[in-house]
Amino acid sequence: MSDTHPDQTIALQASGIASVQPVARRQPIIPGTKDDGTLSEDPTLRAPLVLGDRSFSEVTDIVCGYAEAPMPKIWLTAFTIAASVAGIANVMILYLIITGVGVWGLNNQVDWAWDITNFVFWIGIGHAGTLISAILCLLKQNWRTAVNRAAEAMTIFAVICAGIFPGIHVGRAWMAWFLAPVPNSNGIWPNFRSPLLWDVFAVSTYATVSLLFWYMGMIPDVATLRDRATLRLHKGVSRGFKMPMPLGDGLALGFMPKPDQIRVLAYGVMALGWRFSSRHWHRYEKAYLMLAGISTPLVLSVHSIVSFDFATSVIPGWHTTIFPPYFVAGAVFGGFAMVLWLLIPLRLFLPNFSDLLTLRHLENMSKIILLTGTMVGFAYSMEFFMAWYGANEYEFAVFANNRVNPAKAPYWWAYWTMIICNVGFPQVFWFRKMRQNPLVIWIVASAVTVGMWFERFVIIVTSIHRAFLPGEWHMFFPTWVDILTFVGSCGIFMTLFLLFLKFLPIFALSELKIVMPQSHTDDHH
Amino acid sequence: MDMKSIMNDAKSQGSIYFPMFFPKPAPKFVSESGNAVYGIVAEFSETPKVFRAAKKVRDAGYSKWDVHTPFPIHDMEEAMGIKTTKLPLMAGGAAIVGVGIAILLQWGTTDWLYPTLVQGKPFDAWQPFVPIMFELGILLTAFMCIFGMLALNGLPRFHHPLFSHERFYRVGNDRFFIAIEAIDPNFDPIKTKKLLEEAGGTDITLIEDVD
Amino acid sequence: MSQIAANKPAPDITGMQEADWQARLDKIASDPRMNEDNTTISAASVRKAAMLMLIIGAVGILVTLIGAVSINFRHALGAFEVGVFTALAISLGSLFWILVFHSLNASWPITLRRQFENIASTIWVPVIMIVIVALIEVTQGGVLLTWLDRSGGYNHLLDVKAPYLNAPFFMVRILIYAMIWIGISHILLKWSRKSDETGDRTLGRKARFLSGAGIPLFALSTAFASFDFLMSLDYRFFSTMWGVYYFASCGLASLSAVAIVATLLRKAGKLDGLVTEEHFHDLGKLIFAFVVFWAYISFSQYFLIWYSNIPEETMWYISRQQHGWQWLFVTMTIGHFALPFLLLIWRKTKRTTMLLCGMGIYLLVMVVLDMVWIIRPMVYLNTTATDPGLAGIWLDIAGVVGVLGIFGGVVALKIPKSPLLPLKDPMLHECLHHKNYV
Repeated sequence: MSDTHPDQTIALQASGIASVQPVARRQPIIPGTKDDGTLSEDPTLRAPLVLGDRSFSEVTDIVCGYAEAPMPKIWLTAFTIAASVAGIANVMILYLIITGVGVWGLNNQVDWAWDITNFVFWIGIGHAGTLISAILCLLKQNWRTAVNRAAEAMTIFAVICAGIFPGIHVGRAWMAWFLAPVPNSNGIWPNFRSPLLWDVFAVSTYATVSLLFWYMGMIPDVATLRDRATLRLHKGVSRGFKMPMPLGDGLALGFMPKPDQIRVLAYGVMALGWRFSSRHWHRYEKAYLMLAGISTPLVLSVHSIVSFDFATSVIPGWHTTIFPPYFVAGAVFGGFAMVLWLLIPLRLFLPNFSDLLTLRHLENMSKIILLTGTMVGFAYSMEFFMAWYGANEYEFAVFANNRVNPAKAPYWWAYWTMIICNVGFPQVFWFRKMRQNPLVIWIVASAVTVGMWFERFVIIVTSIHRAFLPGEWHMFFPTWVDILTFVGSCGIFMTLFLLFLKFLPIFALSELKIVMPQSHTDDHH
Repeated sequence: MDMKSIMNDAKSQGSIYFPMFFPKPAPKFVSESGNAVYGIVAEFSETPKVFRAAKKVRDAGYSKWDVHTPFPIHDMEEAMGIKTTKLPLMAGGAAIVGVGIAILLQWGTTDWLYPTLVQGKPFDAWQPFVPIMFELGILLTAFMCIFGMLALNGLPRFHHPLFSHERFYRVGNDRFFIAIEAIDPNFDPIKTKKLLEEAGGTDITLIEDVD
Repeated sequence: MSQIAANKPAPDITGMQEADWQARLDKIASDPRMNEDNTTISAASVRKAAMLMLIIGAVGILVTLIGAVSINFRHALGAFEVGVFTALAISLGSLFWILVFHSLNASWPITLRRQFENIASTIWVPVIMIVIVALIEVTQGGVLLTWLDRSGGYNHLLDVKAPYLNAPFFMVRILIYAMIWIGISHILLKWSRKSDETGDRTLGRKARFLSGAGIPLFALSTAFASFDFLMSLDYRFFSTMWGVYYFASCGLASLSAVAIVATLLRKAGKLDGLVTEEHFHDLGKLIFAFVVFWAYISFSQYFLIWYSNIPEETMWYISRQQHGWQWLFVTMTIGHFALPFLLLIWRKTKRTTMLLCGMGIYLLVMVVLDMVWIIRPMVYLNTTATDPGLAGIWLDIAGVVGVLGIFGGVVALKIPKSPLLPLKDPMLHECLHHKNYV
C-alpha cells in the first residue's frame, strides 16, 4: 500500500499534520494467515470495524482521497465501456419511442415480459440500500457504516433504471402524464383501484425518499470535502486541471479552473453550509432515525405493491398471498448480491479499501444472503406446496407444466436456473471458509443476480404464456431490442455508479468515525 | 412552551433566512480592528477532552454556544444541556396531512367527482385506497424530517463567521471546537477565554463577524 | 510489509486470552448489580403465584369440560384450541427470539434472555395439549378438523389432498414438530444454564451454530403446524401466507409475555439495574415492529384475497364478515393495529415499565382474539347446532384462561430453577452498559 496518492500527501500537508506520512496500516496483516483480526471466532470479542489502528485523520484522508485523487486507470476503462453501453440504451429507447412497442417481442398473450422483468429486477436491487441504511440502522448493526453509502447510491441508480421500463412500456410515451393524479381532457381521473397506479405512487415516493435519505447522509461528508478543498486553495497547494488519458499522465489544461475551485463551489452548495454543530447533529440524528423508521415500512411497501401488480389478479402463478413478503425478501436478497458484486472488486483496485470493508463485513453480508436466500426458498416451497394443496388444477399446472417439468415446460431451464442460483448457490455460505473467501462470495453474488432476474422472468412469462385456453398459448422470444435495452440499462447503472465512486464520498465518513474506538467519551478505550 | 418563546424562535429563524427584514442589533463587543465580535472559539483534539469541556461550559451557565464535532457524539445533548427537538411531533403532523391528502384525492375522485365502475368493486371500498394513503403519509413525513431538520438548524446558510477561522476547516476531519457567542449574556472576553483555557482548549481565537 | 510484521510481536489471532476472559468474568461478578439476591429468585416466593395460576387453569379446564357436555363438544374444543395456540405462539415466539439473538450475537437482550429461554422450554405444555387435541380429533373421526371424516364418500378436494391430510401422517408430523421444538429449546436452555456454572465461552459459539441451523427448521415446522391445525379447519381454504401470519402472532405474543414477566420480576425487586428502561425500550421497539408486521401480513393476506375474489379463498373471509364476526374484524383493525401503533410510537410508553407491561397484557388479549377470529367462526359452520353467541362466551373464556393459567403456572415454577440471567454470557459486559442514544 505504498502507492499513496499525491493528493493525499497534499491533503495531509494542507490539513496541518506536522509530518507527512504515507497512509499505511500500523498493524499489517500477519504473514502466513488470512486473519486480519476481524475473523476471530471468539464469542467474547467483537471484530474491529476499521482496521489498521487508524486515526480520524487517516480515515478522512482515505475516504476523501477517493474523491480527490485520480482514480486508477481501470476506472477510465470501465467508465468508457459503461458509458458506451449506456448509450446503446438511449438509442434503443429512442428507437422504441419512434417505432412503437412492437419492436419488443411482446405479443397478445405475453404482453408483459422483459420490460416488466427488468423493472422488478432493478427495483429489487434497490432494496438492499434501504435495508442497510434503515433496517440495519434500527437494529444497531454498526458494521453497516462501511457499506451504507455505496448501497444507498446503488438504490438510487437502480430505481432510475427501473423507472425507464414502465415509462417506455406505456407505448405512447408522450402520454405518460396519464399516470399522474390529474384528470384527463374528459375529466376522468386515473384509476385509484389499479395496482399500476399504486406502483406510480410507491416507486416515486421510494425514489424521492431514498434520494433525500442518501443526500442527507452525505451532507456532513460533502462538507468535509468542501473544507479540505477550501484549505488547499488557501494554502496554495491545489493541482491544476488535468484531462484524464487512457495511457500515461493526464493532459494538463491550464485555462480550466482548478478542480478544487469547482469542488468548493459544487460541494459547498451541496453541503448547505453544514458546520458540524452539535445542536445541528442532535436534530440531524433524530431526523436520520425517523427516516430510518419510515423507510423500513416504505421499503416493505414498495416491493409489496410491486407484487400486488401480479397477486391481485386471478392468473394462476400470480395470485398467491405470500407474494408481498416473498418479493421483499427476494429484493433484499438480490440487492445484497449486487452490493457485494460491486464492492468486492473495489477491494482490489482502491487503496486501503479493504481496511474499511473488511472480511467480517463480507461475512456478515454473506450471512444475510444465506438468510434471505433461505427465505426465498421457503416462499418457493410454500408456493409449490399450496399449488398442490389448493387442488386447483390450473395453479398446479403452472408449476408442473409451465415451469418444472422439462418434458412439458418450454421454460424449464429458466425455472431451474432460478432454483439453482437462488437456493443452491447460497447454501455454500453454511461453511465459514466460503463466507470468508471474497472470490467465492463474488461468484455466488453473480449467480444470485442472474437467479433473481430469472425469478422475475419465471413469475411473469411462464405464468402468462399459457392461459386457461390452449388456443391462446403463445411463446415469448426476446428481440434484439429487448436484449440491448436491458444490457443498456446495466450500462446506465454502472455509469452512474462509477461517477459516484469518482465524485462523492463513498463511505459514510462521519458514521465510520462513530464506530471507531476514539469516538468514546470516556478515557479508557 | 409559551407564545413569547415561539416568537423568539421564529425571530431567530427568520433572521437567518431573511436578514434584510431583521436589522442587526448593535454589537456588544468590538474587536481591535473595529469589527463586531462573533465569539470565542477553542480547539480540542480528543473526544473525552471536548466532552468534559462541554460540561464545564454548560455548568458555567452559557446558553449561546455550540460544540462542533466531526461526528455526532453520543451523550453530547446531555453534556450541553440541549432539549429534545420537536421534530418528531412535526413529522407526525406531516404524516396525518399526507394520509388526509390521499383520502381526499382517492375518495374525492373515485366516489364523488367521477365514479367509475372498475373490477366490480364498490365505489367506496376502502381497501384499494390503503396503499396510496400509506405512501403519501410516508412521503410527507420524509419531507418534514429532512426539510424540517434543515429549517430548525437554520440551513442552508452558506456564510458563517466561523468559516473565517482557518483552523476551523479541520472540524470535518479530526478536530473539535467549542464556540461561545458574544451575544450570550454571560459572555465576557476575558472570563470566557479563561474558562476555555481551563477546560483544556488550545488555539483560543476571537472570531469577528464580518459580512 | 512482511519485514514490518516480523519485528512486531504477533498479536493473538484466536481471540481473547483465557486470563483476560477470567478477569472480565471477575469484573462482572464483582459488579454490585450482580449480587445473588438480585439475580436469583427463591422458589418459595413464586410458589404462591404459580399455584394460584395452576388452580385458575385447572378450574378453567374443568369449566371447559362442563361446557363440552352442557353446550357443545366442538365449541369446548374450539375454546381450548384458542388457548393452546396462544400458549404455543408465546413459547414458539420465544424460541424464535432466542435463535435470532444467538445468531446475531446480540448483546442488549442478554439480561432478558433467560426469561425467553424459560418460556421457550415450557413448550412441552402446549405440545402435550396439541397431542391431546390431535388424539381427540383422530379418535372422534374429526371434530373441528372435518377432513378427518371421510365417511361422506367422494370428495374431490379431499381425494386430492389425501396424501397430506390423513390421520397417520398428521400424527407423524406432530411428532416431528414436537421433537424440533422441545429439542432445540431444551438444548439451548441447557447450554445457557451450564455456562452459568462453568463460564465456558465456547458454549456461546455452539449456541450460535445451533441457532443458525435452527431457524429454517423453526420456520418450516411452525408453518406446517399452523397449516395442520388452523388452516385445515376449513380444508377447502389455502393461503401461502398462512405460516407467516401465525408466525407474526408468535413474535408478538412472546415479546408481550416477556415484557410481563420482566416487569413482575422487577416489581419483585429482582434484576435491579440489569433490566433497565433501556432494555424495555428495545423490547418495546420490537413489540412495535411486530404490531406493524402483523398488520402488514394480515392486511396483505386479506387484501389479496378480497381483491381477487376467488370463491375458494374469499369464503374464508365471508364467513368471518357475517353473524356478528364483522365486529371482531373492526375490533382487530383498531385494537390489534391502530391503537397499539399510536400508543407504542411514544418513547415514554416503551421506556415505562408498567406501561409496557400493560401493553403486553393488552396485546396478549389481542393475540387471543386473533386466534378466536381464526378458530371460533368454524365451530358452528355447517353444523345443525346453533351458536349460543354471547350467552356461551363463558366457555370461550374458560378455555383460554384454563390453558394460559396452566402454562403460566408452569413457567412461574420454572423461573426460580436457574439464575434470572445468563451470569457468564460472553457478551454480558456490553449488555450491562446498554443505552439507547437516539
